[in-house]
Amino acid sequence: MKILHLYHVLMNLYGDYANISALCRILKTNGTEYSLDKKSITDELSLLDYDFIFVGSGTEQNQRLAMHHLKAYKEDLKEYIQRGKFALFTGNSFEMLGSKIQSFLGDIEGLQLFDFTVTEKAGIRKTSDAIFTLEGLDTPLVGFINKCSEIEGIANFLFTVQRGLGNSKGENTEGILYNNFFGTHLTGPILVKNPHFLKYIAEKLTGKELSIEAFAYEQKGFEITLKNLKQ
Amino acid sequence: MRKTLAIILCKALRIIGKMVGKGSSLPGKYALKLCPDILARVQLPKDIVAVTGSNGKTSTTEMIAHILRENGKNVIYNAEGSNQIEGVTTFILANANIFGKVKGDVLLIESDERYAKYTFKYFAPTYYVITNLYRDQLTRNGHPMWVYSAIKESISDKSTLVLNADDPLVSLFGKDREGTVYFGADKLSSDSDTFTSVYNDMVYCPVCSAKMDYQTYHYNHIGHYSCGMCGYKRQNTAYSVTKADLEQGYIEIDGKLRIDLTLKSLYNIYNILAAYTACSLLGISGEGIAASINNYVLKNGRVITFKLGSRRGTLLTSKHENSISYDMSLKLAAEDTEGSDVLIIVDSISRKYFTSDVSWLYDIDFHLLESCNVKRIILAGAYANDLAARFSYTHISSDKITVFESIEAAANQLNNNNPEKIYVITCFSDKGKFLERVEVEA
Repeated sequence: MKILHLYHVLMNLYGDYANISALCRILKTNGTEYSLDKKSITDELSLLDYDFIFVGSGTEQNQRLAMHHLKAYKEDLKEYIQRGKFALFTGNSFEMLGSKIQSFLGDIEGLQLFDFTVTEKAGIRKTSDAIFTLEGLDTPLVGFINKCSEIEGIANFLFTVQRGLGNSKGENTEGILYNNFFGTHLTGPILVKNPHFLKYIAEKLTGKELSIEAFAYEQKGFEITLKNLKQ
Repeated sequence: MRKTLAIILCKALRIIGKMVGKGSSLPGKYALKLCPDILARVQLPKDIVAVTGSNGKTSTTEMIAHILRENGKNVIYNAEGSNQIEGVTTFILANANIFGKVKGDVLLIESDERYAKYTFKYFAPTYYVITNLYRDQLTRNGHPMWVYSAIKESISDKSTLVLNADDPLVSLFGKDREGTVYFGADKLSSDSDTFTSVYNDMVYCPVCSAKMDYQTYHYNHIGHYSCGMCGYKRQNTAYSVTKADLEQGYIEIDGKLRIDLTLKSLYNIYNILAAYTACSLLGISGEGIAASINNYVLKNGRVITFKLGSRRGTLLTSKHENSISYDMSLKLAAEDTEGSDVLIIVDSISRKYFTSDVSWLYDIDFHLLESCNVKRIILAGAYANDLAARFSYTHISSDKITVFESIEAAANQLNNNNPEKIYVITCFSDKGKFLERVEVEA
């Protein structure tokens, strides 16, 4: 199992790195061997060598730096996703893969792997607690959204919004799911905060049944948060 | 007429507000409704000092007020802590006569970093002190670059900027601007050559995005830096901490003035230096400043000593959702060579709403507690499990850690005869829940 944590310093605004810590732990405690590479904008990438790619949230400025670098590997990433390999992009990182970003920083073309468009507005930031459901998972996810953008044109969404913000204003669907590419605007350590989602992803990734016994505190933390958010 | 009415209304509402114990922003809010540009119409003192930034605003402002008063100046400032435009309006009008003349030699304003642009639309501070820009309350503030843009909009050409030279993002406000005054610390004995915190927001130059070189790190991204690509670098400082001995508890400013510290943290040093710089610019002598700030104990209740049964303890008020504030407190607890038990409480992150955002726990460098000085660690509050999960990703042995969702149970656990000092690390929003169970000393 080869894992790539891409832009681990640049795109790590909301503790996103902890998703990799959680993934490594579930693999380790279930006896799956893995290796982890961390790469940044000064590195050359061989994306197709990996089984799982993770990118976290960044400032709008850092997202542009990452996008500029990732554009050189657009075809590899396209093939990676087409082959059904696994990737999780949290926060604004999945926005890089759309057709364009219209922004107060200037308009810019995306990687164009997907058709959606992103609009960023200066001075307007939207934040919210979130409760999302995922088809195939009995328990909802909890998390937080912190963004300055609206995304239009995603049909194949990842989550249904029970509470929180969708891809665009008034929409009750969030994120993007295509083959095994998971993109969501949930920020931060979502795999720590939602051990059942960690199990779901890791089981699909390994094709094995996995235990989350090693995540007892995470499980309790999740239950308390869900209860509080539902009040 | 509107002006006079607004002033009278504000004064009246403030008196009523004080009687019923209501907050300080409401009178200003109504005054602004009646006369939106009231702040432009009042006659302010000649010297206006404003302080903003992520951390240290309240402490720096308090020390500036203290120094100026000790040195014979009549200072008015928003000690009540309301630092958005409504609160600022309340305290300015409270100190104005009905003709709108604000008495006092110096108007001193602690300003919220995101809302400063609204307050300073109507008047420009003479000296505008910016302390630092860190990840702070990101659920509200977005991120430091976002806050940078908000502060930038609040800066007038008429102000003299007083900037922390050691923070590359803060220094950027002074780029291509004449007359900016910088303060900072020389290389200190506590410095590191390598980056040691969990995350680094200044890996890349904020001007050209090339990799930034650091000659020395004071803490986190605060240090001496230069960009090999565009030449952006730390500016020379007009006022400097030339030596800091945190063990002995003193600093030396400009190689000549010694100031003894009651709070032995790097944080406090920057707050003192910022206050020193602002007061120097207002004409107070270095000796006068040093004498009034020597061994100064902050009145803002950030550090509280208490007794729990036979045990001594200190509560270090830290800010939830602000990892550097936690790092500083953890460092203090871990450096106590007489030994410490550390209680961390995260119960309500915000007083207003529940937030499911735990990302900031992953920005805190809890490895700082990996010290033989730290005997036991207790995690408490509604987020105790999230804290425990966070600790499970450190190298700290789980044998040292106990977890309680109940703060009462955590306090009971500490009520024993262990010889170590108790350090409680928590936020304003949660500290009362612990302090009501102990004997508060100061």
